[in-house]
Amino acid sequence: MITRFMEKTLLKLLHELGGVFVFYFQVMQTFFTTRGNLQPILGQVASVTIRSLSTVIFAGVFVGAILVLQFNLILQKYDAQSLLGGLNTSTVVREVGPMIISFLLAGKIGAFTAAELGTMKVTEQIEAIECLGTNPLQYLVVPRLIGIILSSFFLLIIGLIVSIAGSMFVASFLCGINFLEFANSIPRFTSLWTLSGGMLKSLVYGSIVATVSCHKGFNATGGARGVGRAVTLAAVYTNFYILIANFMTSRFLDFSHEMIELLLGVNL
Amino acid sequence: MSIVFENITKSFGPKRVLNNVSFTVTQGEILFILGKSGMGKSVTLKHIVGILKPDSGKVFVDHQDVTSLTANALAQIRRKCGMVFQHPALLDSLSILENVAFGLKTPQYVLSHSRPLSPKEIQDVVVQKLALVNLGPEVLYQNPPELSYGMQKRVSLARTLAPDPSYLLFDEPTTGLDPITTNAVNDLIFDLSRKLKVTSIVVSHDMACALKIADKILVLDQAQVLAHASVADIKCSKETLIQEFLAETLSWLPPEARITEPVEDKIQK
Repeated sequence: MITRFMEKTLLKLLHELGGVFVFYFQVMQTFFTTRGNLQPILGQVASVTIRSLSTVIFAGVFVGAILVLQFNLILQKYDAQSLLGGLNTSTVVREVGPMIISFLLAGKIGAFTAAELGTMKVTEQIEAIECLGTNPLQYLVVPRLIGIILSSFFLLIIGLIVSIAGSMFVASFLCGINFLEFANSIPRFTSLWTLSGGMLKSLVYGSIVATVSCHKGFNATGGARGVGRAVTLAAVYTNFYILIANFMTSRFLDFSHEMIELLLGVNL
Repeated sequence: MSIVFENITKSFGPKRVLNNVSFTVTQGEILFILGKSGMGKSVTLKHIVGILKPDSGKVFVDHQDVTSLTANALAQIRRKCGMVFQHPALLDSLSILENVAFGLKTPQYVLSHSRPLSPKEIQDVVVQKLALVNLGPEVLYQNPPELSYGMQKRVSLARTLAPDPSYLLFDEPTTGLDPITTNAVNDLIFDLSRKLKVTSIVVSHDMACALKIADKILVLDQAQVLAHASVADIKCSKETLIQEFLAETLSWLPPEARITEPVEDKIQK
């Protein structure tokens, strides 16, 4: 019975994942084959970035501060507080920054997008757009999807800057590590490769947030209850996929790192 | 210029909504589709504009099979068909002006007019169409949530009329409207049909309206066509469902009038 349940769950998950991939490729095909997308996309980038800015800054500062306090507790024991800046920055850039920002985006923008598109679907607005001779994927989904992906990238940069700044302040005022000492240790653990990895992760997670929320909203059925269900499923699946994607991108980046160092003989 | 349904079958999961449904609507005709809720009336309309694909059968609009058209060809068909939905389905983020003008900016409309309309021309068309549904220019810059449900339905109707479609598909157009506007909408459907030869298909529960303005009435029951006939023939039908619809329409009449006067006279009254 347990095997049957697992088999059923796995099949459902694969079916769901397949639907998301097909939707993503449909949207991308629409994006690359139609004109006039730039202005609405820029509008969405501005809207998403501005709406998420305060949350990202708030979260960035406190995540950096918390990490500094935790790392400091461990490093103190080994008399290695000089590594605090590097360790903290590396962790934020590699993992915590992209993850936290994507979770925040999923909660704020993803849920909003799923609810907005879901409401449009159940009140026949999407069908009305289609009947008036406009492709709803182009008019509604392309700007939102591309807008969220690009915004996640910009928000990561802002989040990293404020997080590192917050870490520096806490390290300086609570842990006794001055700004210069903190900054000097950053290059020991953080390189351009680390930063690129963080950026790549942010784009992947941003794509997941955007695609899953648009997909769930666009395919909502069943009135207000259906919209609620779409929003819930969008949040659940987004977080689930981000965790899987985190594992996969981390493995991919580690592997690529090793291969490049081996093939080119350079230290990244 | 006609719409032909040819043996359309459509199911949603285990539920069969349309079973071998066939009928034809000719140019300028007003067809009312009646039936109880969940009998596939709205589904029928959505097949005409290709929003839904049938499981089997064909739908022809101007001799083109809608079920097998490419996206571009389907967009051309949709240009000819205007559809008024059950909900107002207005875009909340756009003003009333932008909502009604939506169909005037599509590539299909621009192609059919050889040039894009200027903003002034667009506004003139919008004001003219709003006037047809008893709305003045004061609503132009309002957003849909600022209007009442009935006003939103009227804006929705104006939006459908704006690109001058050859076919009008109404999904319960008068639900939520006051009696005066309901009459105005019915008169509008009638005028468009008689003066401009616009073909109309109206999904409704309102038998009184159907008897007043329809050329033909199609009754759907149990996923099948129960009757497809002229108004005169429908009035004489012995089918129980149709009798129920007629009785409900006449229920406001005093009992003695119901017994003594012929059905047709009562409706005209």
